[in-house]
Amino acid sequence: MNLEIFVMNGYGIYVWSSFAFTFFICLFLYLKTKKTLRKLEKDFVKEAQNLPEKQFEDVKRQKIAKEILISQSRS
Amino acid sequence: MIKFLNPSYVFKLSGKLLNIFKTFLPPLVIVGLIFSLFLSPKDYIQGDSVRIMYVHVPSAWISLISFVAISFFCILNFLFKLKNVTLIYKSLAPIGLTFNIIAIITGSLWGQPTWGTWWAWDARLTSMLVLMFFYIAFIFSYKFITNSDRSIKACTLISVLGLINVIIIKYSVEWWSTLHQPSSISLTNETTVHFSMLIPLGLMVFALFMYVAVIFLMKYRIETIRIKKKSIKKL
Repeated sequence: MNLEIFVMNGYGIYVWSSFAFTFFICLFLYLKTKKTLRKLEKDFVKEAQNLPEKQFEDVKRQKIAKEILISQSRS
Repeated sequence: MIKFLNPSYVFKLSGKLLNIFKTFLPPLVIVGLIFSLFLSPKDYIQGDSVRIMYVHVPSAWISLISFVAISFFCILNFLFKLKNVTLIYKSLAPIGLTFNIIAIITGSLWGQPTWGTWWAWDARLTSMLVLMFFYIAFIFSYKFITNSDRSIKACTLISVLGLINVIIIKYSVEWWSTLHQPSSISLTNETTVHFSMLIPLGLMVFALFMYVAVIFLMKYRIETIRIKKKSIKKL
């Protein structure tokens, strides 16, 4: 196995650390944002469904609420 | 154009764009990484350490562009009180801060083998650090100032002051004799980076901007749902 790809004439530690740091920070931000979005969508649907039927129907008629309900039912 | 001011249209559009960007992002990142880490040539002076440029430069650009965009939207909001605009800058600020930190850390990792030091109180480095504090102050002012008018005023003030710092960052390498090198890529002057290095750099810039778009759209939806949840509670 060609170790030179990883060692990079002694610069490997700096190069791989930079890429790894960027990758993990980006991955963390993505997962955290995704989790928050999913949780908020679920909470929104739960709260909407707990409303009296007439108010729930009113909420369903709102475009954004409708979009959230659809995306939540898909997932 | 007017439909872009309609929150329900923008929300629906954000969902569609999110799906498109999520599909293209992984292959783009993989291609960008292969070019940056394996296919691009070494620099004749810096050797392999030049590869850090492929994450450092896009991160610095994203952090600067995000702040300029935040300032623009803050001023727009201050003048015209557009609700949608608040959502945009609230979604952009954490992304800008993240990439500001990435730029500082990767810059430090590049500085050690190139300059022999992790950090120097050089004009470019210091002004980038100051930008991080502007980002933190900005995020705190919309998170902890509950009065909406005061929050908008504080955000606008911080963003305008931060914008002056962005100008200092841009010209710091020309105004002062700094350890940091002058810009190698310019829209007005000749670019001094070789084509073989511009390809991976372009790919990484494109990939990271697409990543920013994904996070921005997700955060935009989070902020919109938060507002919707509040309106449900009022029913």
